[in-house]
Amino acid sequence: MAKVQVNNVVVLDNPSPFYNPFQFEITFECIEDLSEDLEWKIIYVGSAESEEYDQVLDSVLVGPVPAGRHMFVFQADAPNPGLIPDADAVGVTVVLITCTYRGQEFIRVGYYVNNEYTETELRENPPVKPDFSKLQRNILASNPRVTRFHINWEDNTEKLEDAESSNPNLQSLLATDALPSASKGWSTSENSLNVMLESHMDCM
Amino acid sequence: MYLASGGDDKLIMVWKRATYIGPSTVFGSSGKLANVEQWRCVSILRSHSGDVMDVAWSPHDAWLASCSVDNTVVIWNAVKFPEILATLRGHSGLVKGLTWDPVGKYIASQADDRSLKVWRTLDWQLETSITKPFDECGGTTHVLRLSWSPDGHYLVSAHAMNNSGPTAQIIEREGWKTNMDFVGHRKAVTVVKFNPKIFKKKQKNGSSAKPSCPYCCCAVGSKDRSLSVWLTCLKRPLVVIHELFDKSIMDISWTLNGLGILVCSMDGSVAFLDFSQDELGDPLSEEEKSRIHQSTYGKSLAIMTEAQLSTAVIENPEMLKYQRRQQQQQLDQKSATARETGSAASVTSVVNGESLEDIRKNLLKKQVETRTADGRRRITPLCIAQLDTGDFSTAFFNSIPLSGSLAGTMLSSHSSPQLLPLDSSTPNSFGASKPSIEPMAAAGARPAGDSVSKDSVNATSTPAASSPSVLTTPSKIEPMKAFDSRFTERSKATPAAPALASVAPTAVERLKEQNLVKELRPRDLLESSSDSDEKVPVAKPSSLSKRKLELEVETVEKKKKGRPRKDSRLMPVSLSVQSPAALTAEKDAMCLSVPTPALKLPMPGPQRAFTLQVSSDPSMYIEVENEVTAVGGVKLSRLKCNREGKEWETVLTSRILTAAGSCDVVCVACEKRMLSVFSSCGRRLLPPILLPSPISTLHCTGFYVMALTAAATLSVWDVHRQVVVVKEESLHSILAGSDMTVSQILLTQHGIPVMNLSDGKAYCFNPSLSTWNLVSDKQDSLAQCADFRSSLPPQEAMLCSGPLAIVQGRASTSGRQAARLFSVPHVVQQETTLAYLESQVAAALTLQSSHEYRHWLLLYTRYLVNEGFEYRLREICKDLLGPVHYSTGSQWESTVVGLRKRELLKELLPVIGQNLRFQRLFTECQEQLDILKDK
Repeated sequence: MAKVQVNNVVVLDNPSPFYNPFQFEITFECIEDLSEDLEWKIIYVGSAESEEYDQVLDSVLVGPVPAGRHMFVFQADAPNPGLIPDADAVGVTVVLITCTYRGQEFIRVGYYVNNEYTETELRENPPVKPDFSKLQRNILASNPRVTRFHINWEDNTEKLEDAESSNPNLQSLLATDALPSASKGWSTSENSLNVMLESHMDCM
Repeated sequence: MYLASGGDDKLIMVWKRATYIGPSTVFGSSGKLANVEQWRCVSILRSHSGDVMDVAWSPHDAWLASCSVDNTVVIWNAVKFPEILATLRGHSGLVKGLTWDPVGKYIASQADDRSLKVWRTLDWQLETSITKPFDECGGTTHVLRLSWSPDGHYLVSAHAMNNSGPTAQIIEREGWKTNMDFVGHRKAVTVVKFNPKIFKKKQKNGSSAKPSCPYCCCAVGSKDRSLSVWLTCLKRPLVVIHELFDKSIMDISWTLNGLGILVCSMDGSVAFLDFSQDELGDPLSEEEKSRIHQSTYGKSLAIMTEAQLSTAVIENPEMLKYQRRQQQQQLDQKSATARETGSAASVTSVVNGESLEDIRKNLLKKQVETRTADGRRRITPLCIAQLDTGDFSTAFFNSIPLSGSLAGTMLSSHSSPQLLPLDSSTPNSFGASKPSIEPMAAAGARPAGDSVSKDSVNATSTPAASSPSVLTTPSKIEPMKAFDSRFTERSKATPAAPALASVAPTAVERLKEQNLVKELRPRDLLESSSDSDEKVPVAKPSSLSKRKLELEVETVEKKKKGRPRKDSRLMPVSLSVQSPAALTAEKDAMCLSVPTPALKLPMPGPQRAFTLQVSSDPSMYIEVENEVTAVGGVKLSRLKCNREGKEWETVLTSRILTAAGSCDVVCVACEKRMLSVFSSCGRRLLPPILLPSPISTLHCTGFYVMALTAAATLSVWDVHRQVVVVKEESLHSILAGSDMTVSQILLTQHGIPVMNLSDGKAYCFNPSLSTWNLVSDKQDSLAQCADFRSSLPPQEAMLCSGPLAIVQGRASTSGRQAARLFSVPHVVQQETTLAYLESQVAAALTLQSSHEYRHWLLLYTRYLVNEGFEYRLREICKDLLGPVHYSTGSQWESTVVGLRKRELLKELLPVIGQNLRFQRLFTECQEQLDILKDK
């Protein structure tokens, strides 16, 4: 059970000129005092073609986080246009907000972002070299794409890196499965592995 | 109303229904899936080291049991989470199912070790282990949820084998015999669940009503994906539903009325089955059911709870009145809280007088942002609600419009594949709505308004319409797919280099502010905490200050112990150090700390002059000047006393070694073993008393004067009545045999001396018995284990002040932590708590501290009432009541430590009346008190 639930993200100052900073008002709820800070990141996807154009606009630590409902505004500067391929300046891209606890990402909120010229003339005849000052950024705030990941929230050192990675109980379950019941056709038809994996794909 | 859940994260979470109205949606999910009920986690139980496989509430909800793949079963105290009452060890395999005996005498567990074990709740020990029916079983089921029949007669196991066929084994309560089973499933039985109701045959109109035997109903689920429902009066199943699911059945639950059944499967779906009364029969009422239990198993106090007591007959009108009053009070309280929450709801959008809208407007400016040591931004989030007030906060939160429109255009998240079966008919599922962004991709040719159109229609169905734009920007289609993966894939530690570049210019500026901000932070933190809901007492600061207090006390104690003996000899009088507790508590008590070696106590040396303040009356000073005036070659010493500006003085012929004072007397000890006592106005009350040996410590409380001599003898006199209270009593018995020292001395208002020793024990001298009595022991293991929190009245302070509280140093709260650390069986806990409370009552009595006696007696009574100890309760009442009819031979005292016993009893009666079990006792006492009143 995740200790932190994101209740809401409100996109502020939207739509806005390209050079305006991003502002997200994030509301989250925490069921227990956290011993460490949360780390939030805004990642701007410069080009869908390759991750190398991703820009981490900013990352902040948020803490201390006692049990309760909290909100804060995460503001980050606009992306550096120099790092965006010219061909991708105008059009749809993505901005991601991620949150990690102890270096483990447990939620990712994605928004589609549309950059376009406001002037009809430019829109019809876009310059070859994009003019970022004339671009308007519009975040599709109504369509957040939320992905949640199962992580280890406990203070113990035991790491639960990935859903797919080893679960200590998996071994024991598999071990018992391999026991005498093999002779009976139906007994092994279902494998505990399935459950374990399914239970880890905890979403929402 | 609680709900418990166990997870593969090793945790058990206990949930409480949040009572506000209105469904809410999960952020980022499709708007249609609103949660109708809100549940809030109130407790997280940690103990298991592996996945939790099953949880079960005991009958009457006193306990919660959980079992895990760590091979254990843990019993939690449902009244005091997260207290563990017992950990049942004995299984050698993953424990996969639990069930409580409906009468509360047993709990049964089934595990992969091919055994079913029954445990007693009396001592949490193993009653029996059943293995025979499971010999042929392999550990192949995910769960083994067994079930106990509601009449308590039968326990039915999950997966058992009989002649190589899977069965559900029926185990009889009588002798744990295993002669019967449910046969028919083709694969292992995963779940057995009895209907909570007991049924009797439906009486048909017209037919001769023949009373038939009541029977039970049981549902059996299996890996063969089928469900069977059995009635214990039929030889064949009532109904079998084959291939209900695609995968194994995981759990079954009956509705409370016994007519509905919910079945869930590993394939992710849930089935609901509805029965009619014609099919199952007439359910017995709860009263009839408990009558069956009582006729079969007798009345067990241990499992009687309010629910059952509600069926008890109230035998006396007084009791009835009392119960009604109580109910009325509860109702009043409820309506009061309801009113409160009602008013809270009306101001829901206001936090500390600031509307949420205002907060949100200024949040960016107001929020506290600092820099960590490595230069990273750190934001302190604004706490807008604490979870304890969850109901209120969430209510107001619902007033915020969710960023996403709920019109159904939201893209479903990662979870959608699982949700799809539920709303696959809607076009807005993940796959279909993906292309809805596609118009934007071609935005270059479209007006801006359209490009972000929220109700972009199902785009998959309109490829033709948008095909021109698709054609012009064919490369944009591929990126969409790429984006999609970006939403769900975890970031691979993206190099932050580009970000750094963009941050760099501002970073320098921020660094400048950094120092400033750092200094401001503590204050900011304070402010931000005050921003949070004021209605909730902030727990942390108080606990912190408490800890601080404890720390202070500790250091003071250390100081005392640590002071070398030589110092105390050099020091004029050791009066300067007074126990902090004494200052705050007992008015007339004055304490000195004397680091004393055993049996030869230090003596104060002569000294030119000293001043001392009387602790019981801070406006009172005693000043001593030795050898000041010489009259004809004779040196005199002067004693001066100043009280609220009034001063008196007198002279003594020998040097004054030590002095002490109270509101009523001032006494001084001089050289040549002389002790002089003066009235508060300076009048000599007695000729000098000759002490048997030199003085060590002098002490006054009220009219009582206590002198501790260097030879370790103790005397107490009442100078008002001119009698001896304690006569040259030796400290041998309490100091002998070790190098203990007296760390604190206390003389109570009633002239009872109390010695706190360096080993944490405290003794008081009981003048009537001429004995030293142990009244406190810091190492007392009873105090460590005692837990009587449930008996503490909420409004009353945890501890009341008095000599007992002083000598015990108010450390009595530590016990609870200890009890939490070690899992103490309930019975042991009960015994230790009783023993502890009894010793407290006795100690308060010996110290003649009436206030504390009353406090502990009330607590003790409350505990007896809560835990149902009738004999002791009766004895207390009998003693307090005394003989109703006067007889000359009676030895009964009508008062105890200055309190009228019958008045005490009147105070206790409402406590006793809280438990209907004691209604006879309540009535008896009430009636006799009434008789006495009439006399």
